[in-house]
Amino acid sequence: MKNTLKVQRAILNLTQDDLAKKIGVSRQTINSIEKNRYVPSTVLALKLSAVFSISVNDFFILEDTD
Amino acid sequence: MSKQSICERERNHLEKMNRFQLSNQFKKIGFIIAIGAFILMIGRKYIEDSEWIRPILHGMLLIGLLVISLSKEKIEDEFIDSLRAQSYRLAFIMAIVYSLGQPLINYGVATLLHQENELQGFSYFQVLFFMLIVQLMFFWQLKRMHK
Repeated sequence: MKNTLKVQRAILNLTQDDLAKKIGVSRQTINSIEKNRYVPSTVLALKLSAVFSISVNDFFILEDTD
Repeated sequence: MSKQSICERERNHLEKMNRFQLSNQFKKIGFIIAIGAFILMIGRKYIEDSEWIRPILHGMLLIGLLVISLSKEKIEDEFIDSLRAQSYRLAFIMAIVYSLGQPLINYGVATLLHQENELQGFSYFQVLFFMLIVQLMFFWQLKRMHK
């Protein structure tokens, strides 16, 4: 699964740290999600969706290997 | 009490146990206990008739490491939780491999060196210490890898 978290974050002009604070996680968590090293829970995905004001499907994209 | 409510209570109990963690301040306390016990273990060698204190120091060291292991990070989120789970799994598997492999290695080395060889086990302290150290090392390493 790939994601466009970095792009969405750039649109809102947020640093990893800012975004982490907004949803109450550590900066490493945001970094790991952006680098596709960690797949977040549904709760965290929905929190991100609320910050970006877009649907989860718009920034998390399934790949053929999934 | 119905079977369903017993199951529900059991499930709640297990979930509570599974979520048990100490606050972040306990990490410092754990370090103080573990380092203190380690220093005393070294110091003990220079004191005569101090064999009785050995199991106490072993216990102190294990408690210190356990407290560090159970202490929360400053920000304890689901990602840290997943790293913690990975480190516990790795430590568990490695401790079993270690406890199975180490006596065989000792036996093999003793045979090669033509020493009196006897298949020996080892103390609970060695296994528990190894398990806790491996868990903490893996956890710190995994955290560093995801910085």
